[in-house]
Amino acid sequence: MKKKTIIAYTNEHKRYLKKIKVDKATTIIAQVLILVVVLGLWEILTMTNAIDPFFLSSPSRMIKTLIETFKTGNLIYHIGVTVYETLIGFLLATFLGVFIAILLWWSEKLRKILDPYIVVLNALPKIALGPVIIIWVGAGTSAIITMCILICIVITTLSMLSAFLNCDKDKIALMKSMGANKFQILFKLIIPNAFVDFVSVLKINVGMSWVGTIMGEYLVSKAGLGYLIVYGGQVFNLDLVMSSTLVLCLIACVMYMLVGILERKVRKR
Amino acid sequence: MKDYLKLNDISLSYHTKEGETLALENLSFSANKNEYLSIVGPSGCGKTTILSLISGLLKPSKGEVLLDGEAIGKNVDIGYMFQRDQLFEWRTIYKNVTLGLELKKKAKDEECLKRVEYLLKQYGLYEFKNSYPSELSGGMRQRAALIRTLCLEPKILLLDEPFSALDYQTKLNVCDDVHSIITEEKQTVIAVTHDISEAISMSDRVLVLTKRPAKVKCIIDINLPKNLTPLEKRENKDFSKYFDLIWKELSNEKENNNSIHK
Ligand SMILES: Nc1ncnc2c1ncn2[C@@H]1O[C@H](COP(=O)(O)OP(=O)(O)O)[C@@H](O)[C@H]1O
Ligand SMILES: [Mg+2]
Repeated sequence: MKKKTIIAYTNEHKRYLKKIKVDKATTIIAQVLILVVVLGLWEILTMTNAIDPFFLSSPSRMIKTLIETFKTGNLIYHIGVTVYETLIGFLLATFLGVFIAILLWWSEKLRKILDPYIVVLNALPKIALGPVIIIWVGAGTSAIITMCILICIVITTLSMLSAFLNCDKDKIALMKSMGANKFQILFKLIIPNAFVDFVSVLKINVGMSWVGTIMGEYLVSKAGLGYLIVYGGQVFNLDLVMSSTLVLCLIACVMYMLVGILERKVRKR
Repeated sequence: MKDYLKLNDISLSYHTKEGETLALENLSFSANKNEYLSIVGPSGCGKTTILSLISGLLKPSKGEVLLDGEAIGKNVDIGYMFQRDQLFEWRTIYKNVTLGLELKKKAKDEECLKRVEYLLKQYGLYEFKNSYPSELSGGMRQRAALIRTLCLEPKILLLDEPFSALDYQTKLNVCDDVHSIITEEKQTVIAVTHDISEAISMSDRVLVLTKRPAKVKCIIDINLPKNLTPLEKRENKDFSKYFDLIWKELSNEKENNNSIHK
């Protein structure tokens, strides 16, 4: 029911809008330029053998490798494996982390008792648990997913718990004054109130779950992008290492952007 | 009706690791049905504590609170309004207003919904029922918060400095708004405030508290013509007389620079 008004801009405002546009354009141009210069230098230096492409690969060789592995179907397979592991790890970690945070919010006693353990778990470099994980869950996909979950879950729990606890005391008192029980306070106030924080956690977890999965693949895998990178390193095939890394960057970006879109949708309301 | 709400010899202590804070000591007062009673007192003297006791959110260490002759239990029908409107940003105005009904599992009750519709229409929020709180002005939000409590047909309305977060202009308007709604809906109100002018313009009686632990210092009957709006009362010739009276009572109470807002 908003009224539409037709606005005639003043010249000053037009200049202001123009300045914003120019500013945006120059930023993008600079960004593209950096990419082109770096790739160009890289290509030229390796082509003229100023740098040995054996150690650094080169853009053209990376593309060639990508096309080859794509043609054999290998690339898609390895991407599929890694994406699958990451997604499962990401979803499980997020779900479990939020669930634990809810339990900890619910019981102050539990929160106090578990506090030192959570601090230790948070401080521990999870990669140190690699051998233990392999022994416990076996050297396979489940070990990789476990690693991914371990890396994401603590931060998820801590962030969500702090979001839950940050809820305005007066809002809780309001709910109580209207006769709400603890379940109702949880589901009608605490959880929806923490939704914005939840989206931030999702964003963090996208990055973390890739770290977890690739780390897991370094440890145990027989397939996946992390495996390709390790394998490429072992046989000194820098083309494979570099091109797999590039693909990894691209996919991680796509996943991050998807969460970004979700975030914008949520914020709009 | 006299003594609709009655606090009998109430004491209450807060316990923290640092020690025990005696917030209220042997406090007694009562409020009549359909009256607007304001409570003023130095900050930190225990005003919010009194409202928490009446609402049943806190239990007194000693003494009892009686509402309509009955001891305050867990599920009393009280309406509580806070410093800020505390509307939930993720709910539409309609969903906010019916929150209490939802909690009491009455969200489908025909009669309750009719009342919601009546209240929204009567107080000019019906067209905004599908808007989100962020789309409303401060005054409208405060009105929505009031309707949210009125939906539950509370036996008593507790206001804890509900206008203190509003700017002066808005506050004057909202006071008029709220006053007319409360009068029309025949509510009994206990309102805490640190704004003496607000207390005089809104209330039938003003209760002045001592500093902590709070006791009743005095109760002042406000005998301004009942048919005036709060804004009009502010212009009444007797207004400043009351202001001075309450100001003096409070000044005796305040220590150091513990100043009270004008
Ligand atoms: N939850 C609490 N724990 C400990 N002390 C409290 C608590 N709430 C209030 N108090 C203390 O009790 C006194 C009265 O508080 P309150 O009723 O909020 O005062 P007012 O609303 O009049 O400013 C204050 O001195 C405050 O420090
Ligand atoms: Mg207070």
